[in-house]
Amino acid sequence: MIGLLEELCMKDGISGDESAVREFIIEKVKDVCEYRIDNLGSLICFVKGKKTPEKRLMIAAHMDEVGFIVTAIRPDGTLSFDMVGGVDPSVAIGRQVRVGKKRISGVIGSVAVHNLSKEQREKPPVFSGLSIDIGAEDKKDAEKYVSPGDCVYFDHEFTRLGEHRIRSKAIDDRAGCAMMIRLMHREHEYDTYYVFNVQEEIGLRGSGASAFSVEPDFAIVLEATTAADIDGVSGEKKVCCLGGGAVVSFMDRRTIYDKELYSLAFDTASQLSLPCQTKTMVAGGNDAGAIHISRGGVRTIAVSIPCRYLHSAASVADTEDIENTYRLVEKLSERIFDI
Amino acid sequence: MDLKEVITALSETAGASGSENDAAGLALSYLKKYCPDAAITDGCVIGNFGTHRDGLPLLVLDAHIDQVGFIVTAVTDDGFIKISNLGGIDRRLLPAQPVCVHGKRNIKGVICTLPPHLTGGESGVLAMEDAAVDTGLTADELRETVSPGDSITFDVKCRQLAGSRITGGAMDDRSGVAAILYALELLGDAPLKYNVTAVFSTQEELGKRGAKISAFRIDPDIALAVDVSFAYSNGENPEKCGYLGKGPMIGISPSLSREISDSLFDTAKNNSIPYQTEVMNGLTSTNADRYSVNRCGAKTCTVSIPLRNMHTPVEVIDIKDVELTGELIAAFIREV
Repeated sequence: MIGLLEELCMKDGISGDESAVREFIIEKVKDVCEYRIDNLGSLICFVKGKKTPEKRLMIAAHMDEVGFIVTAIRPDGTLSFDMVGGVDPSVAIGRQVRVGKKRISGVIGSVAVHNLSKEQREKPPVFSGLSIDIGAEDKKDAEKYVSPGDCVYFDHEFTRLGEHRIRSKAIDDRAGCAMMIRLMHREHEYDTYYVFNVQEEIGLRGSGASAFSVEPDFAIVLEATTAADIDGVSGEKKVCCLGGGAVVSFMDRRTIYDKELYSLAFDTASQLSLPCQTKTMVAGGNDAGAIHISRGGVRTIAVSIPCRYLHSAASVADTEDIENTYRLVEKLSERIFDI
Repeated sequence: MDLKEVITALSETAGASGSENDAAGLALSYLKKYCPDAAITDGCVIGNFGTHRDGLPLLVLDAHIDQVGFIVTAVTDDGFIKISNLGGIDRRLLPAQPVCVHGKRNIKGVICTLPPHLTGGESGVLAMEDAAVDTGLTADELRETVSPGDSITFDVKCRQLAGSRITGGAMDDRSGVAAILYALELLGDAPLKYNVTAVFSTQEELGKRGAKISAFRIDPDIALAVDVSFAYSNGENPEKCGYLGKGPMIGISPSLSREISDSLFDTAKNNSIPYQTEVMNGLTSTNADRYSVNRCGAKTCTVSIPLRNMHTPVEVIDIKDVELTGELIAAFIREV
């Protein structure tokens, strides 16, 4: 599954531009499902089981990743740009990027530190003070390679850290996509819908539309969520920990999760002797926020892998967490039909 | 010689200040082609070009081999590496920055960053003492491979940009090293005005320490410090910068030799080599500051390659400028 995750992470697909990711997923799942692409670009897959259940289950993950968009070309040939999804300018400055359909190499630069005042050096960067430099000599030269509206992607190799950690862009939420692709290849007792959503990072937009059309009774959202178990952070501020297994939260900024499903997840984990943790702060949000209030309401749970440095080019996750999360969801997606 | 290949190889080989061995070893292997007696002496790469003749003044071509980076100060019980900086680092770009720790083996990692829910949205710039590296290894695994004093560099590969521009993590000053190598190649076996010695010196980023001892050892009459300087890009002051692609920046400063500056301008004009003027008002913040006052003094000047985003993982240069810098140096040394 980690090989699959690597391929998924290396695909470029910022919000509104998920086609490369979608095409890759279709190739991987077309033989095990019926699928369609909705008007916004979400991929809706139906896997036939031995039985058609009374209640409908939808499992969802999002295909899009955070990135940037070119807003203008400056006279000196550098590009002004803005974020797509929530990206801290501090994780943008000093990175390599790829720009546009031709994936032109560029870098995000700023005024050299030598030429900043003492006060400026202590002030975090803002996007208006940063530039993408593709090496163009001037505006006319730059126009040969790029146009305003071009998508900008982090350019970063998928790297193994130690024995079972990985460092990559887009782990949020290609980890969810990878787990779903694998789940779809199982024998299914019950019919199940699998939805790969667009535009999560700019406000949970694809999942609202796809949930409306799928009309599920239950939903399991597979995600990557912020782990802050880093140097200098202690206690509940860590939120969740790498190596601690799947993260099942009771509440975040967008959703209060279904209490019965929450208990079922922990019960299933304990039955399988899998590590499982909850989030120790109410923070963040994901597609569950749009799904659980779709139509007349959907009983929803989110199962996430813990991930450090989310929304950067160098997010870090633990491969054992991904495996353990997969195994939990595998069982949970069967037991949910017993409710 | 394929300048892009040489610059890329040099820039992708680590050599943070004080731990220059790998980069110096690679630079030495290139230099030996032109200076068969070249060797690493007290960390610095030093080689005499051709056969030195009696009676000619001795000229040193210096570029520094070190790059900015970090040094391991401690390994925490939670398995994080605490660090301090080597040289002037822009701390604004530390969060989630990929790095490589040069322990008993190379270990990839990333500098920790706090997510927004912990900073409340309003955060300052990460203080060096709060910075830590996450490597995916446990404290025990780390203690076997990493020790305080080990160096850390940005983990970044070179990339070709539009035209002849490239980006990488140690263009400062591997592009200067490449310019000197290219100048020596251009000189071939032409008759020279000077006896020439090439030096790739250590610890420039910590206060030009390698150049201090190399200068003393070699005792040159003339020295050219081949380094990088600020290229204009959005937000910079155009009056204080050169431009990418417009040729080497020849220094003028009270601390430099007017005679050499003027001679470099003449050489550029006579050989139709594009150049730019870099005016400074005292010290130059390059190894020139060491050579000029070495022993009883040397006539010294700076020849600088314009560079954007100095001291970051995304330094940008134009290979054309490295080529022109090599041409200018060769023309200056060659007997007309």
